[in-house]
Amino acid sequence: MTDPLSKEASAGDIARAVMSGKAKATDVINSTLERIAEAEPTVNAFTDVLAQRARRRAAEIDSGRHRGPLVGVPFAVKNLFDIKGLPTRAGSKINLDGPIAARDASLVRKLEAAGAVLVGGLNMGEYAYDFTGENAHYGPSRNPRDTTRMTGGSSGGSGAAVAAGEVPLSLGSDTNGSIRVPSSLCGLFGLKPTYGRLSRAGTYPFVDALDHVGPIARSVEDLALSFDAMQGWDPDDPVCTDRPTEPALTELGEGIGGLRIAIAGDYFERGAEPEALDAVTRVAKALGSSKKIVIPEAAVARSAAYIITAIEGSQLHLPRLRTRAQDFDPDTRERFMAGALLPGAWYVKAQRFRRRYRTALQKLFEEVDVILAPATPCTAPKLGQVMMKLGGVELPVRANLGLYTQPISFIGLPVVVAPLQRPGGLPIGVQIIANHYKEAAALRVARHLEKEGVASAPAA
Amino acid sequence: MAEDKPDIARLVDEAAKAIGLTIAPEYRDKVILNYERSLLIARPLLEVELDDELISGPVFRP
Repeated sequence: MTDPLSKEASAGDIARAVMSGKAKATDVINSTLERIAEAEPTVNAFTDVLAQRARRRAAEIDSGRHRGPLVGVPFAVKNLFDIKGLPTRAGSKINLDGPIAARDASLVRKLEAAGAVLVGGLNMGEYAYDFTGENAHYGPSRNPRDTTRMTGGSSGGSGAAVAAGEVPLSLGSDTNGSIRVPSSLCGLFGLKPTYGRLSRAGTYPFVDALDHVGPIARSVEDLALSFDAMQGWDPDDPVCTDRPTEPALTELGEGIGGLRIAIAGDYFERGAEPEALDAVTRVAKALGSSKKIVIPEAAVARSAAYIITAIEGSQLHLPRLRTRAQDFDPDTRERFMAGALLPGAWYVKAQRFRRRYRTALQKLFEEVDVILAPATPCTAPKLGQVMMKLGGVELPVRANLGLYTQPISFIGLPVVVAPLQRPGGLPIGVQIIANHYKEAAALRVARHLEKEGVASAPAA
Repeated sequence: MAEDKPDIARLVDEAAKAIGLTIAPEYRDKVILNYERSLLIARPLLEVELDDELISGPVFRP
């Protein structure tokens, strides 16, 4: 059994140890806070460490006040989640002058109701308009697999904190790939659930039409444990589904029997570096899948997702662009300004196309249950890198790390990223894409890959 | 016939004026660059044809 006080301990390991009395929550939290203090000068994952709050909560657990499937499990959240008593930074300097959160975000409350302990807020790209994990105000989060490299973003701190072994579990948000890109570049398991499956109430928005929230962890069990704890209708998020919860943890052991698995060809093979395509090939081989399918109009979907993001995100920030332009991160400011000037007709067309694309994908899911695709076109770029070569073409890093994630989140399909560690090299992830509300299918596939030793996410 | 390329710099200046967004001179070049990039990325969407009957799937529930 893994030592529940070690950086390798999973959320499941810790909860079992605390539940059985083999470990005290207080000891778990103290060792977590020590690890954070030790790792932070290097990885810069946290913007807020809640030592006092976490210790108080742990003491309450040890006195028998809280129980649940995540009892004693330390977790941290991207700093766009409300944390009672703090301003919700959302990666910005401007929001520090904004309101102080009166209560925790819905998902923080749900995880704590399941026994978990919030230990801090995590660094992120400003206002989530980012794929790199860099931030001009708070410094970049650094990839624990190689600290000269990007974590990916915008949930950069959420990736760094889990990869460094500071916490076993973090929450991020994903509008176009912001959970999946850091999961891939930091070599972690990440779950972007179905659009509307988990409540976004109490999170600072970016693009309402595309915003999702979900967990990042080092094991598939931890994704399922936290996902199950966070499911459920929430009247405070108008997009949140009122479908009954569908627990995924109990399905993990079912294996991949009966699942029709295919590889996304065409768009998802173009522009990728060899390591991204090799990762998909390795995963497909381990799953015994050789069937290729074409996701129709994926390039149009990426284009439409980009336009919805640019226009909706920029409209949200227009008042601050007018009054506090100098306080924006230089890497978001001019993109937001340009987005504010794009024709509204493009937005309407993108939304109409979204419906057509959804219908086409629903048809595709009559033939398959799970689709495999690269999560990122390459491994982690160097910090500060502006351009990269993909398929021999020089392209901006910022706009292109989400090349393969954007066409999937565009219609809210659930995705698990399975990380492949590459000895002597950097990790890279594969997207396991399922039909709407079929998170359990994607998690079953990821669990199979983990069991077979194909996918893994050790602490760095 | 030569392609009739839009004057993006002018478009950015005029559109910003129209919505009351002041773009400081030091930001202007990057705004223009980003607008050009957006135009390029938007192209696949702009080229696609949609049926008149196709409506979006709004979430708003009265």
